[in-house]
Amino acid sequence: MRAAHTPLTRASEVPYETLCQFLYQEARLLDQRKFGQWNDLFAEGGMYWIPLEEDQEDPLNHLSLAYEDSMMRQVRINRLNHDRAWSQKPRSRTSHTVSAIVVEAVCEVSNQLIVGSAFTMAEWRSFGLRTFAGLYTHTLRVTDGRLQIVEKRVDLIDSSEAFEPIEVFI
Amino acid sequence: MDIQQLIREDEVHRDVYVSEDVFALEMDRIFGTAWIYVGHDSQIPDPGDYWTTRIGLESVVMARGKRDEINVFYNRCPHKGARIAADGCGHTKGLFRCPYHAWTFNLDGTLKGVPYLDGYENTRFDMADPRFSLKKVARVASYRGFVFASLSETAADFESFIAGIKSSLDNFCDRAPNGTVSVAGGVFRVVQRSNWKIFFENLNDTGHPIATHESSYRAARQYADEELGGELPFELHIIDGNGAPPKFWSDLDLHAFDFGHSYMTAIFNAPDDPLSQAYFASLSAKVGEDRAKEILGVNRHNTIIYPSCSPHTSFQQWRVIRPLSVDRTLVEIFTFRLDGAPEELLQRTFTYSNVVNSPSSIVMTDDVHVYAECQKGLATQGGDWVSQHRNAGQDLPFSGADGGEIGVGTSELPIRNQFRAWREYMTSDVAETIPLQSSEP
Ligand code: FES
Ligand SMILES: [Fe+2]
Repeated sequence: MRAAHTPLTRASEVPYETLCQFLYQEARLLDQRKFGQWNDLFAEGGMYWIPLEEDQEDPLNHLSLAYEDSMMRQVRINRLNHDRAWSQKPRSRTSHTVSAIVVEAVCEVSNQLIVGSAFTMAEWRSFGLRTFAGLYTHTLRVTDGRLQIVEKRVDLIDSSEAFEPIEVFI
Repeated sequence: MDIQQLIREDEVHRDVYVSEDVFALEMDRIFGTAWIYVGHDSQIPDPGDYWTTRIGLESVVMARGKRDEINVFYNRCPHKGARIAADGCGHTKGLFRCPYHAWTFNLDGTLKGVPYLDGYENTRFDMADPRFSLKKVARVASYRGFVFASLSETAADFESFIAGIKSSLDNFCDRAPNGTVSVAGGVFRVVQRSNWKIFFENLNDTGHPIATHESSYRAARQYADEELGGELPFELHIIDGNGAPPKFWSDLDLHAFDFGHSYMTAIFNAPDDPLSQAYFASLSAKVGEDRAKEILGVNRHNTIIYPSCSPHTSFQQWRVIRPLSVDRTLVEIFTFRLDGAPEELLQRTFTYSNVVNSPSSIVMTDDVHVYAECQKGLATQGGDWVSQHRNAGQDLPFSGADGGEIGVGTSELPIRNQFRAWREYMTSDVAETIPLQSSEP
């Protein structure tokens, strides 16, 4: 995805509007079930992470609701697209709202930015409508003139609650 | 109709899953008498540590006392009834204090202090009367750190309850170089829209993976074929396992024991990689190579300790099943560290659990879905009886060390066995007649 017309070079020079557009586009790809394109937004080795605890620092030495590399994301996508994904009949429909986008840090050396935002995701399933809410923390890198996701961290405000299965990406 | 009429040797009446009256009776006769898993002693290592959980529909607190003993009491203040401890883990310094009027209690639950004590002079209130202390559950017992409690003074003793399935608890702990395990990494909690027994039946039901989990094992294989030349890394190997051919499943063994317990032999072998070798070395260093081989040779998939929990001995998972209502069940998943094993082994345990047991597992979601479909279907007028006929009458007594009965891997033995225990619990008291929601014409 090319969010700006001119290729990006420095993390510190990415216009705020470009960052907003990137996060909105990312959410929209999920809502449109364009999962493959969504997965392509990640940098090589990029991770999708939903911690289990508030302020969880470590994805390896603790359980996480999800901690997925490109392989596990793609397997999830393959399943969502499979005919016999029983629990996806009818399939999930989602609507994301992303707001309060702030640049939290810029690192010149790694050419990365950390962007915080608030989100809600409404999801309709066979058992009705439910809502997820929380904070996103995107670690973004400028590579090949565009933004890539190094890590998408999803902190649900009820992360340690009991859940019914979560199937799509939040 | 009475309880006896809800159960035949090879089928059960749908009311056992959908009747509110049956559920209420279960809370009384099963969860009110059986040995129910409360927690592990590593969750409360020091005096003042506590863990709040449930036995049936009762809120209870497991607390470490001053003399290091473990107490389990009802979470109910004897004054006006407020719960004295919030859900989950916590620590208190020396005493529990009720948040409402500040009555205080020692760590063993006995009443310690009451504000405005002079107001109780010449009343029937008595500090020493146990009814003004936190009420202890009838019996508490533990085996290798796993704490169980029974709300009944008179039901079966813990030794007889656990005897058949003890070998799984032993293997769970023997796998640790130090011989002990400890809870680590947090708790997954999943809500199911189905009766608690449906989950138990599924745990040793090898007839379901090929059908239920097709979307996830195909997704894993697709990735392996497209990206990895057919090779399956650890995570994909786990998901792919459900797609094994029918013969694989029937070649497994199922073992069933008194009180509804059972286990199935393993579907995964430990990977042979540097981490597994380092772990084997750490175990051998403590117990010797032969013993280490013997311990790891006991390779089991789900063990069932009916009616409250299910350990997975070779991946250090422990699922706790808490009925919420006739059609709602909470499953809590704990992971354990093998004390003395390399720390990276615990990371692998977490990886396994993230894939298989997390609320966002791409495997479990189809299980939870079909359970809910059963619950919906059973509420219809489409038939009163639920089949348990697969390999009925073909299970055999097992002459090996554990005893019990043995069946081919695809037998519905564990399910029939659970209902034998269910019937015993449910009819152990006076044979009471209860109104049923549905009846045959
Ligand atoms: S309810 Fe506990 S002190 Fe009053
Ligand atoms: Fe399953």
